[in-house]
Amino acid sequence: MPLSGSGSIYSYIVHHHPPIPGFTLPYVVVLVDLVEGIRMIGNLVDADIDLIADGKGDWLIGREVSSALVSDEGGDMVLANWRLMDSES
Amino acid sequence: MSGYTDGTAIAGIGATTFSKDSGRSELHLAVEAITGAMSDAGLPVDSIDGLVTFDMDNNDQTQVCSALGLGDITFFSTSPFGGGGACMIVQQAAMAVHAGLADTIVCYRAFNERSGNRFGQYVAPPAHPSAAEVRWSWHGAHGLITPAGLVAMSARRYMHEYGATSEDFGRIAVIERANAATNPAAWFYQQPITLEEHQASRWIAEPLRLLDCCQESDGGVALVVTSLERARDLQHKPVMVRAAAQGMSSGQQVMSSFYRSAISGLPEMGLVGRQLWEQSGLAPSDIQALILYDHFTPFVLSQLEALGFCSEGEAKELVRSGALALDGKWPLNPHGGLLGEAYIHGVNGILEAVRQIRGNAVNQVADIDHVLVTAGTGVPTSGLILGVA
Repeated sequence: MPLSGSGSIYSYIVHHHPPIPGFTLPYVVVLVDLVEGIRMIGNLVDADIDLIADGKGDWLIGREVSSALVSDEGGDMVLANWRLMDSES
Repeated sequence: MSGYTDGTAIAGIGATTFSKDSGRSELHLAVEAITGAMSDAGLPVDSIDGLVTFDMDNNDQTQVCSALGLGDITFFSTSPFGGGGACMIVQQAAMAVHAGLADTIVCYRAFNERSGNRFGQYVAPPAHPSAAEVRWSWHGAHGLITPAGLVAMSARRYMHEYGATSEDFGRIAVIERANAATNPAAWFYQQPITLEEHQASRWIAEPLRLLDCCQESDGGVALVVTSLERARDLQHKPVMVRAAAQGMSSGQQVMSSFYRSAISGLPEMGLVGRQLWEQSGLAPSDIQALILYDHFTPFVLSQLEALGFCSEGEAKELVRSGALALDGKWPLNPHGGLLGEAYIHGVNGILEAVRQIRGNAVNQVADIDHVLVTAGTGVPTSGLILGVA
């Protein structure tokens, strides 16, 4: 079934430690409820970390997101990540 | 009442020092803890006829048997799911003793989990994953791959739903570090913390701060399970296994049960709790001390709810009321827990429950009849009620 790529944030974390290969600290991981009823994990891309980190991010819960497909350098792997529909906090 | 549990007892306990760098092999730690437990029980080492541990222990039963010079072993098992197996080892041993499969069963856990293979780092996915391991790709590829990060996802939703705060998590750490501060065996002996220090500690995986996370430790612990009848003739007051249960619930994943309709609770711990109350005929009001698995503070709150010590979402009020302090209604982890004493994967907590029932714990709770012990949270898990015979 094709998915719309639309959903809302059910929960999230901000990862600070330890360093993880391939990631720049800190980074946001979101748990997204798709409108079709499926739940997926991904990273929140293009987000202003200063508005989220240090305990400031509860406003993210319930916010609408759309899928942001990110390819690796070789182009043979695609990660389904997420972008806020409305970036204003 | 459940025949298999009420007929069995813990007759001996043994532990190594807890440290960050033991300077000896994991097998050495296992042997040291096991010989200590047998000595405590007043039984010769060569009377061991059963060996039980749980996974993520590098000392398999053949090597322990060989190092101890044991003969015939008629019962051996290794329970699954990491810390969730901590209480399963006593359940497996009690069932085997009741079934007549072995008489003197040693349960053990020994590792160099700080100086050796650290548990708190990210988990490396398998090189050749099977279909059953595809779950790693759901979260690992997005950097959700440390124990703290995985717990933090549920903790954040829990805070959102119930209004619990980082300070509420911190209160758990403060209580346990206060208990550890008066326990000479604890790594954090004489090092209590304040709520302000908790709040000033750095973020690990928001909403978890450094002081919400248990330590990584080196050490070994062991305990001896035998029949209650036999334990009555040994040198210590027997500690009866009043109830022992496992639980795995719908939508269960290992540390990542994110695909359930709700992720703020621990249904598998609720399942364990219902069995413990049914087997023992006891209720929360009959329990005088709690040994709750505390690798991360938030799941202590959800365990209190799952086990029926308060209603869903109300653990924060219970914590704020002081009920979990050493002089409260339900003292929490009098030894300091995984946060304060050491992270021996939950089994050091079973030893503390034994000391409390015997009446010789360093932070002894008065007038104690029953202690409830839980194993790892966020995974298929287990629990015990230990009591006076």
